[in-house]
Amino acid sequence: MNSSLKQCGARLIRFKEIGALAGLAIIMLIFTILSNKFFTWANLIGVFTITSELGIIAIGVCFLMISGEFDLSVGSVFAIAPMVGALLGQIGVPLFIAFLVGLMAAALIGFINGVLVCKTGIPSFIVTLGSMMFYRGVLLAVSGGFPITYIGDAPFLDALGGRTMGGMRSSGIWLIISTVIFSIILNRTKFGNHVYSVGGNPGTAKAVGINVKRVKIINFMICSVMAGLAGFTMFGRFYSIDPTAGQLLELEAIASAVIGGALLTGGYGSILGAFLGAFLIGVMRSGLILAGAPAYWYQAFIGVVLVISVIMNTRIRKAVVGE
Amino acid sequence: MKKTLFIVVAVFLLLVPAFDAFTGGQKDMTPGGKAAEEYTFYVVTHGGPADPWWGGVFNNGIKAAEKYYGVNIRWMGPEKYSVQKMVDMIETAIAAEPDGLVVTIPDTSALEKPLKRAMDQGIPVIAINVGDRETVGERIPYLCYVGGAEYQMGYQAGLRMLREFGSSKPKRGVVLIHEVGHIGLEQRAKGFTDAFSERGIPVEKLAGTPNASENYQALDAYMTRNADTDTVFTLGPLGAHPSLSLFKDKNLFGKVKIGTVDLSPTILEAIKAGQMVFGVDQQAYLQAFLPIGLLILYNDYGIVPTGNILTGPAIVDINNIAQVEEMINRGIR
Repeated sequence: MNSSLKQCGARLIRFKEIGALAGLAIIMLIFTILSNKFFTWANLIGVFTITSELGIIAIGVCFLMISGEFDLSVGSVFAIAPMVGALLGQIGVPLFIAFLVGLMAAALIGFINGVLVCKTGIPSFIVTLGSMMFYRGVLLAVSGGFPITYIGDAPFLDALGGRTMGGMRSSGIWLIISTVIFSIILNRTKFGNHVYSVGGNPGTAKAVGINVKRVKIINFMICSVMAGLAGFTMFGRFYSIDPTAGQLLELEAIASAVIGGALLTGGYGSILGAFLGAFLIGVMRSGLILAGAPAYWYQAFIGVVLVISVIMNTRIRKAVVGE
Repeated sequence: MKKTLFIVVAVFLLLVPAFDAFTGGQKDMTPGGKAAEEYTFYVVTHGGPADPWWGGVFNNGIKAAEKYYGVNIRWMGPEKYSVQKMVDMIETAIAAEPDGLVVTIPDTSALEKPLKRAMDQGIPVIAINVGDRETVGERIPYLCYVGGAEYQMGYQAGLRMLREFGSSKPKRGVVLIHEVGHIGLEQRAKGFTDAFSERGIPVEKLAGTPNASENYQALDAYMTRNADTDTVFTLGPLGAHPSLSLFKDKNLFGKVKIGTVDLSPTILEAIKAGQMVFGVDQQAYLQAFLPIGLLILYNDYGIVPTGNILTGPAIVDINNIAQVEEMINRGIR
């Protein structure tokens, strides 16, 4: 009996996401104890809404991190893509087209990021730091500091970020779909294999015949498009973009991916983990408010959770791999 | 690892009484006869604890209201200006089913749906600090508005500055905005700019940051480039304090006139010394304190003011600084 329990434990621990899952369960339990309003449908829907926008970006960021690169410009792309869409919508372009153009703009930004990193050899951290500032500046200059609003009803926007059955937002559905699709790509396709090898050992990957630069550029584009998509779901929620939208979101997205098990050095990570990491951050925010924590403490707690979860994930990984 | 987990859980559970201490109240009764401590109000603002205006005078007002009325008040705002995070907080606040919600409205579009949902659920909503500029009937149907008017603060400040020049006109003005994209600041800037532009005086917005030394450098560079600038308008202490430093270092007092939004002990001293023309206040303390009383009365008796309660702009200059001085130092203004 004892050995089969141990066997079960050993198998459980091999799930990459077990650290994030365990952490999430514990924290949700704590907050349920601290406030009877936490584990209510209304609140969990709210948490899931916070999670969706962050989660969609985190998936793109995680995908890119597994291939060994960072993208700090996602916060700016988050705002720029819907800004493009909103401006087009204001001059009468059908919203669906505006949406596609916005996503193409995001893809272009990702392409530029990727090419700059691959051709110049400058670390992606620096390149995307520069593009983060550049696109944020463009956004502020074009908007003049004021929010860009879409006036009128737009069923398309509601499909992106409005409410659906049970009060859940469509952004949640987008998140779930994205999680499934990208998990499958990562774990069941040849491309996913390439992503892991490019991140884990780019030298070997190249030797084996994988086009490392192509994989990375594609991943930069995926990352930016996901950030743009998340921005559009926010646009669908608010019908407006304020030019400061998305600031510091890049750090939360990286935190989500890392809480979910991704390695900063690349080569290891999980899309489902990024989803759970984003959910955890959402839970922290609302849980702390409902528990009555003073407003000053939110960031402090998220920082603590981040470090603890990385420690947990590292311990688990060492137990499995035996480094 | 088990031990670490246990310690973490224990620490969290030990913090419960600490949280309780922050939200507890006294055994008071409201006018309607309910126990005050059974009331919980959520105040969600677009400025958070990192901002000296919200974390300082406004928070003093919240704490005073909590003590005076004996109710529970949870105040929160994003660490960095973010409409999105603010709306997330409002969603959580709605899920907590409070007896009332006090919010600022930095973006009408973004806040319309969540606030309507709150009202549909029976949660009374009062807007403060930044409201919906539409008329009643078209605006978001909150109960009433308590606050200043950001645009008016800038505009009245502009008029006050012009009066300082008497019959002549200023040659050029600059507005130092210390957080670009922050809707309140942008509206103040626009108000001041309009007041000057209407009279054909060139005025520009200078982009600063929440960082004092960067603002010092930016203004220095601007004044060097545009040596005919004789008016500076800052939008808060984050812009005013480094500007005053610059004026002192470059000996600009008397040659260039400066006014600001908000009050602080430094600004107070500058006004008294004749270095600064004015500070425009919107009395954050009132914006924090009054809505709580209004919500209690609404919960008890269903009564509420039918118009807006304006707490600003209140221009403080050399003529009335004496009365205000003590209050500034005590963190009431």
